[in-house]
Amino acid sequence: MRLTRRQTLASAAALCAASPALAQNAAPPLPRPLFGARHWRLANGLEVAFIPFSRAPVVTQYLFYAAGGAEDPAGRSGVAHFLEHMMFKGSPKVGVGDFSRLVAREGGNDNAFTSRDVTAYHQAVEASHLGMILEMEADRMAAALIPQEFLESERGVVLEERQQRTDSNPRARFREAFTAALWGRQHWAGRPIIGWEDEIRAISRDDLAGFHARFYAPANATLVISGAVPEDEVRRLVDQHYGGIPARPAARRDRAPAPSQAVEPRLIRRDPMTRDALFLKAWMAPSLTAGERAHALPLEVLSHLLGGGQGSRLHKALVESGLAVSAGTGYDGDAAAMTEFYLSAMPRPGVTPERLEEAANGVIETLIQQGPTEAEVARSIRQLTAGAMLALDGFGAAPRMVGGTLSIGLPLDAVEFWPARISAVTRDQVEAAARAVLPSAPNTAAWLLPSA
Amino acid sequence: MSTPFRLPIQRVVAHGLTAWLVEDHSVPVVSLSWSWPGGAAFDAPGREGTASLAAALLTEGAGDLPAAAFTDALRDAGIGLSFGAGRDDVDGGFRCLIDALPEAERLARLAMTAPRLDQAAIERLRARAIAGARQSLETPRGQAGRAFWAAAFPTHAAGRPSGGTAESLAAITPDDLRGQLGRQLRREGLTIAAAGAIRPDDLAALLRRLFAELPAGSPAAPPALPVFTSFGQRVIGMDSPQSQAIFGHEGIGARDPQFEAAQIVLRIFGGGGFSSRLTESVRVKRGLTYGIGVGLDTGFGGGVLVGSVASDNGKIAEALAVTRDEWARMAADGPTDAEMAEAVAFLTGSLALQFTDSRRIANTLMAMQRNGRPLDWLDGRSERLRAISRDDAARMARRLLKPEALSVTVAGRPVGL
Repeated sequence: MRLTRRQTLASAAALCAASPALAQNAAPPLPRPLFGARHWRLANGLEVAFIPFSRAPVVTQYLFYAAGGAEDPAGRSGVAHFLEHMMFKGSPKVGVGDFSRLVAREGGNDNAFTSRDVTAYHQAVEASHLGMILEMEADRMAAALIPQEFLESERGVVLEERQQRTDSNPRARFREAFTAALWGRQHWAGRPIIGWEDEIRAISRDDLAGFHARFYAPANATLVISGAVPEDEVRRLVDQHYGGIPARPAARRDRAPAPSQAVEPRLIRRDPMTRDALFLKAWMAPSLTAGERAHALPLEVLSHLLGGGQGSRLHKALVESGLAVSAGTGYDGDAAAMTEFYLSAMPRPGVTPERLEEAANGVIETLIQQGPTEAEVARSIRQLTAGAMLALDGFGAAPRMVGGTLSIGLPLDAVEFWPARISAVTRDQVEAAARAVLPSAPNTAAWLLPSA
Repeated sequence: MSTPFRLPIQRVVAHGLTAWLVEDHSVPVVSLSWSWPGGAAFDAPGREGTASLAAALLTEGAGDLPAAAFTDALRDAGIGLSFGAGRDDVDGGFRCLIDALPEAERLARLAMTAPRLDQAAIERLRARAIAGARQSLETPRGQAGRAFWAAAFPTHAAGRPSGGTAESLAAITPDDLRGQLGRQLRREGLTIAAAGAIRPDDLAALLRRLFAELPAGSPAAPPALPVFTSFGQRVIGMDSPQSQAIFGHEGIGARDPQFEAAQIVLRIFGGGGFSSRLTESVRVKRGLTYGIGVGLDTGFGGGVLVGSVASDNGKIAEALAVTRDEWARMAADGPTDAEMAEAVAFLTGSLALQFTDSRRIANTLMAMQRNGRPLDWLDGRSERLRAISRDDAARMARRLLKPEALSVTVAGRPVGL
């Protein structure tokens, strides 16, 4: 699961994205930061951010490690995710399986997630229990037990998770094969985060402990606290619980470059469990941290005007025309390395795959030739930023956005001022980004088809 | 011991409408939620999905704004406005920044009073709904769920898919949709809740402007939930490496006088989080599943106790056997004192966490009203929960859990079932 600036907002705001009201409020001398996060670093290298929240007497902790599925060792996809599971199997001060129980006993909840770029652990509790969750999280950073005797039962859980999420769902199986076709089954970007089944089965305790030793160092982590706790109290408690963890060398991300061409430029998959066809196409694309970074924000605008729902070019040409049930594009520039710009479309019954693909390609070709209009770019910027401040409603979105940004090496300003940055994107930049990616970047086009 | 958390809920009355409000100006956001009884309960046989399709069409063009213009108006102002139909109700709601509140009000009113129901929009949404209905049957989860409810309630709306099927959606006419909305969108019968940066007086005025133009009268009440039809075990064969099981039996409704004792029992037995008996036995100890849970699914004034688990085809029989054993053990012995203490601590301590975002607050207020709770229900909740003894909980466990009555659907290629 990925939770970054765009997706957090998308889930937080459903239909709406971000506010012209904000753009207006933000226009005078300097735009105001979205969250007003405080940001500092401990002597051992741990990066800390604090976002005040006063609606209810509660606090949340998110600890992000700058290592996700993409950091899995060769031939051992799934290590980052398996380790996430095993982090709940005890540390010196917390018994096996007690972490969640102790949080729940105080009325709190906790969970964790692994994305391509990060592994993150989070809890929410009543504000007076901040010390407890900091102490337990710091304890497993310093010395997770990863007990061998619980490895096999948890491997069973992970394999069942893989079956549930992927193997028992034809669309999920197709998406997994599609990503592997573009990047390669053993490329960091082409492997599933949960891991290939045979590789999950091969993961040893040494693989997990090795990943923890390499990546779970204070200097490789970002701690985000949000809640109704005074800042000096947060600083004191963070020092108390995390300050004593010794500094140690943290492995840097070491990603292979993107392949110069798609491994399989075309993939056709027939699946007996599928009832309706699905078209996917993805181009390798730069992000805010890799490749031609200047294209990243313009690509977000491009994705909105090309395939961001009703009013977008693909929606008009494919959905409103009656060719497709749905059609859209996606792009997320918040990534630690190269990423993807993707398109998906489902044909209406009776529309052949050829006809739909041709129509989609036609829309893209026109956009490359003529570029977007000023009005389209202005509309997209308005709609992308209109609901930015809705991220203040609730206390999960802010720490996810801040932690996600900091742990891929971007500065805090990248998230605090993202509405102003998106608003500064010009039509010419969107056109340049479209021309840099869509005509020539390595890409894969794929069809999922019913078998009969 | 957690600090007691009190939530000041206000009752706002205007023009015959009543809304519950949690006012909070710390964030410049307002959420408003409302609902009517009805929904898919009144879909004509063979036209399942009518209420659902009609509700979705409300934001696909209204007044002089065709679909694309209506959507642009919402997105330009960052307004999240939506309508949906459940099995026994239709709900609407929006969330927006306070600067966008007048526009949210205008568009919500327009959607309810002057939906266009343009033919193109109907066909576009119908195609989307049909694709969704077909895709839901591509997975064991979708198949097992569909079969479970159909078998448990063969002659009642609770047994039919509220989103419709490919066939029923194809049969729905524009007149069906207009008729549904005409019966549903009324000035009376509304349940309303608001949360966020809005004062009671402003909310009262907003309610009047938003709902006053709707036709008088109240939608009809959906038919009460009939007795759960026990059906034993059914296997739906489909090619999948993993089998999905849905299991359950008759439950209790949210207005049951001992509902809070049931909440404690279910928290211990199969509730959320990572520490229930079922999670411990089936997931943690044996590694048979990624997740297992059981809860009360309340609706139509009643309730069904229902759970789900997915396991490898070769392991699902064991997962279900362990589940049945736990079912019988909890029914026979009830929870332990230690389990009681932890569950009550969680249920009392977690209250504040439900009041962090405005939509969630509004939804909590909606549920309280639907379940007939008094305004100060939450204030006394911790004390009521602590007063429930282990014996009370054991009695509830005996009453609620009936291992011999379990009905199960399994989709996949299960071995040994």
